[in-house]
Amino acid sequence: MASLGAALLLATFVVCSYAAVVSVVGARRRSRPLIESGIGAFHLVTALMVAASAVMINAFLTNDYSIKYVEHYSDSVQPFFYKITSYWGGLDGSIMFWVFLLAVFGSIAVYVNRERHRELIPYVVATITTVQMFFLFLMIVHRNPFTTYLANAPTEGQGLNPLLQNVYMAIHPPSLYTGFVGMTIPFAFGIAALITGHLDDSWLRAVRRWTMFSWLFLSFGLTLGMIWAYEELGWGGYWAWDPVENAGLLPWFTATAFLHSVMVQERRSMLRVWNVTLVIVTFFLTIFGTFMTRSGVVQSVHAFGDDPVLAKLFTGFMVVILVFSFSLVIWRLPLLKARNELDSWLSREAAFMLNNWILLFAALFVLFGTMFPTLSEAVTGERLTVAGAFFNKWMAPVGLVLLLLTGVGPLLAWRQSTVKNLLDSFLWPVVAGLLAGAVAMLFRIPLWSAGLCFALCGLVVGTVVQEFWRGARIRKKNTGTDMLTALVGLVGRNKRRYGGYIVHVGIVLIFFGFAGNVRKLDEQVLLKVGQETKIGRYTIKSDGIKVSDDGQKQMTTAYLTVYVNGKEIDRLYPARWAYRRHEQEPTTEVAIRRTPAEDLYAVLGGFDLADQSATLQLVVNPLVNWIWIGFGVMALGTGIALLPERSFAFAMSKLPAEAAATSTIALLLLMLLAGAAPAYAQAGMGGAEDTRSSYYARTPFEKQMQHEIVCTCGACGHQTLAECRKDNCSTSHQMRGELAAMIDQGKNRDQIIQAFMAKYGGEEMLGAPIDKGFNRMAWLFPYLIGAASAVAVGFAAVKWTRKSDLDAAPAAPIDAALDERINDELRDLD
Amino acid sequence: MAHRYIKVTLTAVVLVLAFAGMMWTTLRQGTEYYKNVDEVLPQAHEWSGKQLQLHGYVVPGSIMRKRDSLEWRFKVQNNPARAAGTSGGVVDATYNGIVPDTFKDEAEVVLKGKLTPAGFHTDPNGVMAKCPSKYEAQEKSASAGT
Repeated sequence: MASLGAALLLATFVVCSYAAVVSVVGARRRSRPLIESGIGAFHLVTALMVAASAVMINAFLTNDYSIKYVEHYSDSVQPFFYKITSYWGGLDGSIMFWVFLLAVFGSIAVYVNRERHRELIPYVVATITTVQMFFLFLMIVHRNPFTTYLANAPTEGQGLNPLLQNVYMAIHPPSLYTGFVGMTIPFAFGIAALITGHLDDSWLRAVRRWTMFSWLFLSFGLTLGMIWAYEELGWGGYWAWDPVENAGLLPWFTATAFLHSVMVQERRSMLRVWNVTLVIVTFFLTIFGTFMTRSGVVQSVHAFGDDPVLAKLFTGFMVVILVFSFSLVIWRLPLLKARNELDSWLSREAAFMLNNWILLFAALFVLFGTMFPTLSEAVTGERLTVAGAFFNKWMAPVGLVLLLLTGVGPLLAWRQSTVKNLLDSFLWPVVAGLLAGAVAMLFRIPLWSAGLCFALCGLVVGTVVQEFWRGARIRKKNTGTDMLTALVGLVGRNKRRYGGYIVHVGIVLIFFGFAGNVRKLDEQVLLKVGQETKIGRYTIKSDGIKVSDDGQKQMTTAYLTVYVNGKEIDRLYPARWAYRRHEQEPTTEVAIRRTPAEDLYAVLGGFDLADQSATLQLVVNPLVNWIWIGFGVMALGTGIALLPERSFAFAMSKLPAEAAATSTIALLLLMLLAGAAPAYAQAGMGGAEDTRSSYYARTPFEKQMQHEIVCTCGACGHQTLAECRKDNCSTSHQMRGELAAMIDQGKNRDQIIQAFMAKYGGEEMLGAPIDKGFNRMAWLFPYLIGAASAVAVGFAAVKWTRKSDLDAAPAAPIDAALDERINDELRDLD
Repeated sequence: MAHRYIKVTLTAVVLVLAFAGMMWTTLRQGTEYYKNVDEVLPQAHEWSGKQLQLHGYVVPGSIMRKRDSLEWRFKVQNNPARAAGTSGGVVDATYNGIVPDTFKDEAEVVLKGKLTPAGFHTDPNGVMAKCPSKYEAQEKSASAGT
């Protein structure tokens, strides 16, 4: 199988080079057959990469340890789900996964744009295949994932690192890669536009959606990374300005800048050089980020190891990208001349430009800070590092200015704002900002950074609400419908604009969560049984430590009780898990009590079984959950902006109302299912199955419960019901019987646990500490919002399409100027 | 036109200067020197009080913890414990808090903190025990890095 995989990679490389050459030659000679052949070869690359990926996944599933990569990142007891995700768990596989994604996205982009941007396609194909060739070359000559052991193939693998055996970690890399790889498509179109000289705005239209899509996944990947760091690494925070985190953030800044400046070009034909540059820089930064992560140039906790050869290859490729792209830009400068000049600094385009500068500055600054140790070593010979505090000091004002612009930008008119419309549009947002600031003052939050941040959050929310309100009011008047319908219609007609505003609300929530850091508490204590400690309003008492084993890992759990004002409010079970074959690196299982206001976060840092003492890190993280919720809102907004033009309204107007309702419900169910999937995946992590007892698990649910409940017989050493299968252990047999009976009665998980606790006492019999409801809530939230909005949109759209037939005569506008402005913008923006 | 270019240039110069000034002041506070034990010890008085990241190896058998507390005392030497030759300079270190699992005899560590006459005073959460295999299964041939 390994040789098949390696052959496939080699074949892909050959086909890639064919596609690149034939496309360019075809375009130069204007030969249709050659171009078609190039496109065909391009799709063939995708097919070959799909096949190669299938070979790789098959190798993981069949435990083919003769392949080094499989041996490194998998073992026979690994759950099915993680065997698949091991594909991108290591360096070689992640490069291959990169090429796979690029091939798939490239094929889609080329297929979608085959008619509209016919003249660009051959160069798009050539650019993408060149990038693919680079990565394939890396794999073939240096990092082949299909390398095998020549002799003595091992019979068992080393297993995926336990830290990565986590649902977030399974979806974080693909999501981040999707964001990174997706940025190649705009770059390819940009290069094609530069080469062909078709530098009107049409290439922008082709890539706008791709950039948005990639941006969404980049944001999602970054958020997942934060959640993973927060829940799995156990240091109490979510962002440490680690080089690898920064690598993901850099293209995010420039892509965000592009998404804004592209509007200026569409609307005012300005910033054309700038937009091309941003597309190139964004792509460059994705490659640069990959380079930083994989070559060992910067020291980082989670960089892949040192690899000087890879570093050299990457450096060469990056130099080629920069030289080639910017030569093209300079060559085409005459065609990229702006058609307009900036009329006034009090205009929306000026606000956009300022926003772009700041985002670019943020990117450069983070780049500088990340590379600083390497730079200082190269210049002075001394290795100087910058601490996280340095980044925070600089990025706090940068973030606040961006937040300010988020609030101010939408209020300014294009070209020039007059004093009258300034007063008119700024009044309520400023009032909202001042109110939010005053509330922050009431809570005695320091003005600098956190207090200001709250005030600006108020300003932005004020702006967004006002924009929705005014737009909806005018639409209501013009169409004669009710407010809700008008609102939906407004969003439907201007998905990008109003979706963008919803994204702004998400950003506000994220900043709101960041600002909570000002009241963060962090303490480290040593507690013996019965001892107490205080943090914030909580008193935490230790009830001791217990050790249990589930076959895959040894679990040491601290039992803590949390009191507020002398009343017990919760119990926490921070733990350390030592996986087999990874005993040296136990994972910390953080216990978090989540509430919307603050998280109480407990980490078992160390323990001494002899005197039952636990070393604990206790953290109070205010408002932290709003960061995750903010991402949900952001995803919703981007989703709305990404909806295909007109298709929604079109579909709705063609469908009878019942069908619309049914499809909405179906959509809703799908979303709920998607929401449940992560929870399920986590529950599925069990040990090996053993069915020698009378009460073997009949359903996944019963199996899950058997894994959750610990046998109390005392002889087996806290094995779970699924594992304690000794013939003489009547206790476990009896308990399994009780469990089966309860399941037959249709009791749910909580009821069963309650019943067992009542009968056998305490939570001692629970294999793993109870997962609290809010843990899931944070995750479900985006889906819930998505589902709710789907219902709202569906409902209103049905109503709206019916009413729009009546074609109500527009009522006389109250404010003619504002009316005109908004209608004008509605027309032009989308 | 000339007038406009002067304005643009002046703005740019002012911005760059302001930026450089701010960068300079914050960099002076924000940077930490990354040093090996042997680079620091000969000029101990010169380095004392400066924010450092001290790189070295835990001296075997030197880790001590005060009973029922999180106070640690240990020694850090310049060269890996099992390397041929001398251990290089040795410095006493103190720390208060939770140590990572990888912190044990012979471990390669980076300590954040300040050098004082009494030894190296490590900041809270300032112990980073290096473990090159933390995220990537360690290649047999690969060295420990740095």
